[in-house]
Amino acid sequence: MREEFRLLVALQDLDIMIKEVEEKKTSDQLKNMGFQLDGLEELQKARATLAGKIPPALRNRYEKLAGRYRMAIIPVTDDKCLGCFVKLPTSFFSSAYSSELITCENCGRLLFIP
Amino acid sequence: MESKKLASLFQEDLCIFSLRSRKKTSVLQEMVRHLKASGKIADEHFILEMLKNRESLGSTGLGLGVAFPHGRSIAIPDLTVLFARSPSGIDFEALDSEPTKVFFLILAPSEKGAETYLALLSRLTALVQQPETLEKLYEVKNFESLQAVLGSDNG
Ligand SMILES: [Zn+2]
Repeated sequence: MREEFRLLVALQDLDIMIKEVEEKKTSDQLKNMGFQLDGLEELQKARATLAGKIPPALRNRYEKLAGRYRMAIIPVTDDKCLGCFVKLPTSFFSSAYSSELITCENCGRLLFIP
Repeated sequence: MESKKLASLFQEDLCIFSLRSRKKTSVLQEMVRHLKASGKIADEHFILEMLKNRESLGSTGLGLGVAFPHGRSIAIPDLTVLFARSPSGIDFEALDSEPTKVFFLILAPSEKGAETYLALLSRLTALVQQPETLEKLYEVKNFESLQAVLGSDNG
């Protein structure tokens, strides 16, 4: 996996965590269990640092997809894009491990191979 | 998941009964490495980064010697729970500043909602509120005794 794609994957994990904390329903549940969630600012700082390491073109592509979908990067399971559930063509797998970023041809999401 | 017995969510190969690590970050590392070695995850990096970020939000060491590191990542294919124990205890920056002896690491895939892991987390945090269960957990040395302790959950 190309380094910038690795950074992008980490960015999405972080965005999901930030969203969880910002969602009152989730954060209330966590607080009721006894968790303290005081470090939101820390997370936002970590996000800014991480985002700054990603080439702007790639970051913009991610942000655009993230605006459209719940997840811009989506895992591939059983040869399917878990975003749109369309089966990926066999040609996909020959190029999957190359240095290129792979996009689902059907929905446009970036694909992550677990 | 609610109807499932708590004990059935644990696997023998996802237990560490005597952690070697002594520091917070290395404990997280040891647990994540264990997941990799058992084939649960392909890449340690993403999970470890996510867990470290989670700790900067607030320590998951809730006190009473128990911590619940948790979160969602694209790099975890299924809801996974790992049990780990440190007989001597570790400074996990717990809310009560006491050493942490028992760890429940809970990971869920990011394409599923937060409720996937919140239900499990809620049951486990409730379980350790029972003082006699907690005492037993500190002393768990094998999978059978862990199963016995977890069996006392009636959820
Ligand atoms: Zn797709």
